[in-house]
Amino acid sequence: MRNMKLLKTLTWVVGTGFLIILPFLIPTRMHVAVIALYYAILASSWALLAGYGGQFSFAHMAFAGLGAYTAGLIGKFIRFTTAPTGLCTEFSMGDWWLVVQDAGSPTCLETAKAAMPVGALIVKLPAWLDITMGIIVGGLFGLLIGALVLRLRRTYLALFTIAFAEILRTVINAERDITGGPGGLKVDPLFPNGLTIFGRTFEAADKLPSYYVMLVLFLAVLALMYWLVGSRFGLFIRSIREDEEAAASLGVNVVRYKILLFTITAMIAAAAGGVYAHFVRVIAPNMMVIKEMSVVIAMAVIGGMESLLGAAIGAIIIEFALEQLRSDITIGSFSINMTDWRLVVFGALLMITLRFWGNGLIFPIIQRITRRGVAEETVAKRVQPASTPTAEAPVMEQEVEA
Amino acid sequence: MNYPSIFWYAVLWIIVWGAVGALVTPRVYARKDKFTHQTAMIGAFIGGAFGPVGLIILWVLTPQLSAKWILASGLVVLLWLGLAFSRADPDNLCVTSGSFVATQLANGLVIGSIYGLMALGLTLIFSILGIVSFAHGEFYMLGGMVTYYFTQVFFPEINPLWGVLAAALFTFVLGSIFELLFLRPMITGQIERPGEYAILVTFGLAFFLQYTTLSLVGASPKKVPRFFDYPKVEVPPDSGAILKMTPGNVTFFDIISIPSPRITALIIALILLAALLYFLYRTWTGKALRAVSQDRQAAAVTGINPKRMNTLAFSLGGMLAGISGAALVQVFSWVPWVGIPASSRSFVIIVLGGMGSLPGAFIGGLILGVVEALGAGCVPDPNRAAAYLPAYGMIILVLVLLLKPTGLFGREL
Amino acid sequence: MIKLDVNHVSKNFGGLLAVNRVSFQVRGPELIGLIGPNGAGKTTLTNLLSGALKPTNGTIYMNEQRIDVLPPYKIAAVGLGRTFQVTRAFRRMTVMENLLVPALAMHPAARQRQFVEKAKEVAEFLTIDHLLNEYARALSGGQQKLLELGRLLMLDPDFIILDEPFAGVHPKLMEIIYEYIIQTNKNGKAFIIISHDMETIFTLSQRLLVMAFGELIADGPPAEVRKDPAVIEAYLGSDSDKPWEPKRRAKRNGSKIES
Repeated sequence: MRNMKLLKTLTWVVGTGFLIILPFLIPTRMHVAVIALYYAILASSWALLAGYGGQFSFAHMAFAGLGAYTAGLIGKFIRFTTAPTGLCTEFSMGDWWLVVQDAGSPTCLETAKAAMPVGALIVKLPAWLDITMGIIVGGLFGLLIGALVLRLRRTYLALFTIAFAEILRTVINAERDITGGPGGLKVDPLFPNGLTIFGRTFEAADKLPSYYVMLVLFLAVLALMYWLVGSRFGLFIRSIREDEEAAASLGVNVVRYKILLFTITAMIAAAAGGVYAHFVRVIAPNMMVIKEMSVVIAMAVIGGMESLLGAAIGAIIIEFALEQLRSDITIGSFSINMTDWRLVVFGALLMITLRFWGNGLIFPIIQRITRRGVAEETVAKRVQPASTPTAEAPVMEQEVEA
Repeated sequence: MNYPSIFWYAVLWIIVWGAVGALVTPRVYARKDKFTHQTAMIGAFIGGAFGPVGLIILWVLTPQLSAKWILASGLVVLLWLGLAFSRADPDNLCVTSGSFVATQLANGLVIGSIYGLMALGLTLIFSILGIVSFAHGEFYMLGGMVTYYFTQVFFPEINPLWGVLAAALFTFVLGSIFELLFLRPMITGQIERPGEYAILVTFGLAFFLQYTTLSLVGASPKKVPRFFDYPKVEVPPDSGAILKMTPGNVTFFDIISIPSPRITALIIALILLAALLYFLYRTWTGKALRAVSQDRQAAAVTGINPKRMNTLAFSLGGMLAGISGAALVQVFSWVPWVGIPASSRSFVIIVLGGMGSLPGAFIGGLILGVVEALGAGCVPDPNRAAAYLPAYGMIILVLVLLLKPTGLFGREL
Repeated sequence: MIKLDVNHVSKNFGGLLAVNRVSFQVRGPELIGLIGPNGAGKTTLTNLLSGALKPTNGTIYMNEQRIDVLPPYKIAAVGLGRTFQVTRAFRRMTVMENLLVPALAMHPAARQRQFVEKAKEVAEFLTIDHLLNEYARALSGGQQKLLELGRLLMLDPDFIILDEPFAGVHPKLMEIIYEYIIQTNKNGKAFIIISHDMETIFTLSQRLLVMAFGELIADGPPAEVRKDPAVIEAYLGSDSDKPWEPKRRAKRNGSKIES
């Protein structure tokens, strides 16, 4: 048992260390690395929701989109000034004014600037704050949807979220004046003025700081989720996944824990979306299409839905593989456009994994390590009490296999 | 008070008092030791329809409640909404022109019948296999694509009905193959968590089919010209014209005007509906299907092979979606992701109609068709009205889930 | 004192009266058997008591608290636990985790560690202690039944409903279950046991409820119920021209039996 613990700690240290030095191994592929971490956050939080909690939501990308668009829209419309503009919609907050630039008159602040006293400041909300707002908005939507749908059978959640994701995308597409529509919404970089750390200066466009921000978020989210899973919360949501009615009959407040789980994972997705928005700097409703959701699900399923780590590793590997496969294949005069075909491959892989390896491809390896010795232990213990009826010997093959 | 806000105040009023009614009424009934069955919903409707006055009367008298109350107060709610809308936007075509409303309604019913047909396929699958196929919209999309390629690319001179037939055949075969390969293992016990598996594997199928289609045919919209040109029929306007036809349009009573491709689609839908009903209620196989949907084990005892019924139901369901697509490919332009809104629509319909209820699916389709048509016609800003088309279904879905999650015809589970 | 009052409870499934105006009272730690032919409404009644279904009509009180309006998890907290006809262990959780769920649900402020010892004791009592780290799905059907009983011990309700605890269980395990019921009943818990095993139920229970066609047709000590013509009729069919319609009859036996 002590060996187990050591092994676990070691795995974590090595894994984290690897991710920390990764930028120095593949300096040219930083963009893919950041996106891979983004997907890793989404896939592992979806694994918490679906694999641990048994709640199948297709709106995970929609929540990421909510986080991204909240961050982006705050950056576009919200300013703080030290003097009133008199032209825009504004609210006084002590010395400062919260200014909302109206979509109808986007230049109100520009016009007002001229009339403002010298030295008056106009500031944007810092990136971490608008990401936080995005998390709150994501959480609110999660709470509302959860309260509406999660008291019903679990198919309803899947049905509802797929419709919700589609509506959200439609709305963002339609409200061009506010969101920029399909053309996209410009978002400021994470560090608009660059960043100087350890004597090294990074430009706003440098990817390295963003990578570490995303990495910190990823590790924090993973730690949070593992803590949740180890607590009573994890126990309850797993019992709900296994059998809601039985869990309720044993005193578990099923609806409350389902809503809590849904809200938490929605907030995690929104956080990932917020950081993503500041990293890619132009967000479009396309980040919420069903295809993105399918990719995240494929990542979680192939990695192993019942393992947060498995899903995260699956996401990172698949994102790199997807990028690798982007280039066209040419055989003689016959050329295959891989940008679409690679997704066909992953669709097929998703279905085949589900069909033949329900636990995914990576999780079984992890489980083989972490549950090593359980079966032997049981057998060893069983030999001692002779009172155990032999006719009722447990089916061991299943366990060893899993 | 300026006009447009009247409508929103009315909506707010209804929502607030509906919520109060839904939350308080069961408690009042419980405190008085009365039966609390359905009191939340009836409270919501009475609150929405009659506001605080109605609620107080309800709480004081606490009469024995029945479903009639819901119908009556639901109609009152609709009346309020209609009145508020006509006050808010008196120049709207929906308020001033009866013929416009009638045309919208008729078009809604026509399109709704196809929605219903498609949802019928989904509900058929649900009632036999107990799963929701998230790839249903892709069968619809493929139905249209096959029809396009069959009638426009491969055999340009052919009667378009052959295209519909080809679509039906294609989706039927595709459905059987998928069922045999991926869903059959669920009932033979090879899959550990069938419920979760079914959601994901059909979703995976949707993804797979979408991108296979995209890779094969590209993203440019396909358009199929109308299947049939209608003969020109014109009766002099003064003679109380009942019918007026041009190749592309049909007008009834000089009021209701429907494009002819939609009429063709309606006729296809009705023929298919009749065929489906005949199949389900008059043939041995159809009866066997219904038997399996009611009691698997009992059906198996009487010599029905439930496995075969599963395959049949899934293929039939996919085929119904495919034919719906084939019928509508002449109405809308076709892209590989046209199935996504279509499947969300089917989900709304089966929840509205009640999961597993065949009449519910068709009636739900008609209701959704009408609501979408009225929404598209009546919402003042025409650009938004069209863009928000899927949102009207969403409103219905939210209301159904709030008020009656079992749907109109659903059995209590 | 344990007190359960079921007043005129009905459940209507879209026209089918599964439970029809059933009333009975329980006072103190009684050991009650609930029998009836297939489709008599026994399991539906259980679901109504545990809150899994809501009655169409009628009220249920437990310890002076109205429970038919409460969600199932609150009913569990009031003190009513149940098992299911088909075993419902949490299959992809270990035996230990299965046992911890009800304990933690009942004690919101407690920590997992506090219950590990108790869980071990319970597992030992039920002879499944060597399986604590196994996933429940690796257990045999009988052992899963024991695990369900173990969860009830961890939940520690005053009132326990067992749905077919003896069905398809190895005789050896049956003894353990029998022992469990007697022991727990002695510790002051009331039981309702649904079973098709007439032999066991008649010897085990102090009082029998008999259901047929959704109605409660008899209520009394086993010896009396055995002789009741209505019960015989329900089980063997009658010579009347409408055998599917059980005769409505006044309840002859007092529904209160002090134990």
